[in-house]
This record gives sequence, structure tokens and C-alpha cells, in this order.
Amino acid sequence: MNASDGGPSQSTLLQSGLEVRSRLVLEAGLSRIDARTRSRLNQARQAAVAEAARGSALMWLHRAFTRQALMPAGAAAAAALLAVFMLSGGHHLTQSVADNPASALDVLDLVTDDDAMNLMEDNDSSFYEWAAAQGDSPGQGAGQGAGNGTGRATT
Amino acid sequence: MNAFASVAPPYNMPATSRGDTLLNDTAEARSRALNQFLASVELKAYKIAQAGLRHQDDALDAVQDAMLQLARAYADRPAAEWKPLFYRILENRIRDMQRRRTVRGRVMAWLPFRRDEEDDDSDPISQAPSQDLPPVARLELDEAMTALDGALAQLPGRQRQAFLLRNLEGLDVAQTAQAMGCSEGSVKTHYFRALQALRLKLGDFEQ
Repeated sequence: MNASDGGPSQSTLLQSGLEVRSRLVLEAGLSRIDARTRSRLNQARQAAVAEAARGSALMWLHRAFTRQALMPAGAAAAAALLAVFMLSGGHHLTQSVADNPASALDVLDLVTDDDAMNLMEDNDSSFYEWAAAQGDSPGQGAGQGAGNGTGRATT
Repeated sequence: MNAFASVAPPYNMPATSRGDTLLNDTAEARSRALNQFLASVELKAYKIAQAGLRHQDDALDAVQDAMLQLARAYADRPAAEWKPLFYRILENRIRDMQRRRTVRGRVMAWLPFRRDEEDDDSDPISQAPSQDLPPVARLELDEAMTALDGALAQLPGRQRQAFLLRNLEGLDVAQTAQAMGCSEGSVKTHYFRALQALRLKLGDFEQ
């Protein structure tokens, strides 16, 4: 008999009554499980159902809290952050950009430059050294930048 | 703007409370369904655990752990998926306990003092059968159960698991495969070999 095919030979065994008889015996065994065991199983089941209900309640609380409390609180926090940004840090940043528009354009150019992005992806630290050597003002390090610009292209 | 703000709460509030009511109803219905499901499998699960562990308290612990794990992790899954998931968890738990017992047995074998009082708390009254049978029928049943338990105990674990899940719990091949974490072909093979082995060991059991 071939065990792996599960075909005729298995059906022969199915007809033998072994399964039927063993099922009857096993089910009769279930009915003879003692009261102490049944009680402990019952307790285990109640604990599991309570655990599931607790999980559902926590999920409900989370949803309700998120919907009714966190969203307005989040909106208020975002508004407060925006106000703080506008009153302090945002002012300095916009001021520095307003004072030196060319510097801001250089930064923008560095960020949007495809070559620079490729170097960043290649984790080439020489790009960062070169970028730091350029300085903040447009005229500073121009000659050095020409040489390094060549170096950047060959990197 | 003010008029809009004054209109908004009456529109929002009933929807929110209706949604909460629906959530509560769903949670209660799910708890009831889970309770019914666990009640329908607990005795068979205990029997399967006992066949694998051969120890009453360990079997109870395994079933309890499997129930809790199912409730914690899978109560939100469709009820149709619970049975194979539950038996998968139970089988993993049985295997863990068997491994732990093996390790503990090795450690205890090296110790100078050995504790053999594991069965000290057995209470013959509390462990008495819950249903009375005529003496002859009980004797026959006792013999058949002893023979079947002995034969099942000698089966390899996977064969015993396939046999009990298919024959006692009534899972189909696909569900058994899911519970055992194997292919349907493997289930058929394990089940077939279990039948062969039981037939050899039990002889005229089926008459």
C-alpha cells in the first residue's frame, strides 16, 4: 500500500470501522472526564472570554479617545506649534533667508542637484567636505569651488 | 460660521453614540461566540492535550494557555478561523511543554534528590466519572479506552495529532493541515500511517 496517495487503500481502512469505533470510544471518554477537570476548563474559558472582552473594551476606549479627545487635542497642539514657530524660530529663519537670498538658493541648488543626490546615495563623504568648504556667501571659496567642482565630477 | 458650529454637534453626537452602541453589540456578540466556541472544543482539546502530555494538570495548563492566546491575539478574526488557529496554538503549547519536560527530566536525573510527588494531589472523589454507566458497559469502555489510549501514546506525535484532529475533533484535511502547519498531503500521510499503526496494535478493536 502506498501511504502517500491516500486513495483506495485509505478508503479500505475507512470502511473497516476502526475510525468509527475509535471515535465512539474517544467521545465516550469525553463524557467521563471528571468534574474537577470540567470545572477547571470552565474557569479557563471564562478567563479567556474576559480577556477578549477586556481587549475589545481597550480597543473601544482607544477609538473613542482618539476620535473625541486626541483629534481636537492634536489640532490644538499643531496650532500651538505653528504659533511658536511663527513667533520665534520661523522669524529667524525667514529673516536669514531674506537677508541672504543667494545663500538660500545655493542650499536649494545643493538639495535639488542630481549629482549631489547621487553622491549622497553613494555615501560619499567628500561631497559633504566640499559643500562645507564652499562657505555661506556666494563669493567665498569660489576658486576653491572650481577645483573641487572638477573633483566632484570625477568622484 | 457660528450657525455652522451650532448645527454640527447634533449631527455628530447621535452618530457617535450609535457607533458606540454598535461597537458594544459587536463586542458582546463576539464574546458570546467565543464562549460558545471554547465550550465546544474544550473537552476535545483537553483529551488531545492529555494524549500528547500524559499528565492531567499539564494538559489543563496547555488548554488554558491556548484559550488565552486565542482570546488575546485572534478574537477579532472570523469565527470560522478559530478552530484551526486554536488547535495550532494548542499543538505548539503541547510541544513546548514536552520539550520543557524533557529538559527538566534530564536535569532532575542529575540531582541527588528527586521529587516524585507530582500526583500527590489526586483526589479519587473529584476524579470520579461524571456519568454513571452499567458495570459491564463501563468495564468494556474502560478496556477499550485503555487500549486506545495505549495505542495512541505509542504513535509518533504528528500521526497522533492528525488522527485526533481528524477523528475526534472532526476537522477536514485542509483545517487539519492549517492546525498542524503542514501540507494537506502530509496530513493524509500522517493520518493513513496512524490508521495502519492503530490497526496493527489494536487488532480486533474494530469488531
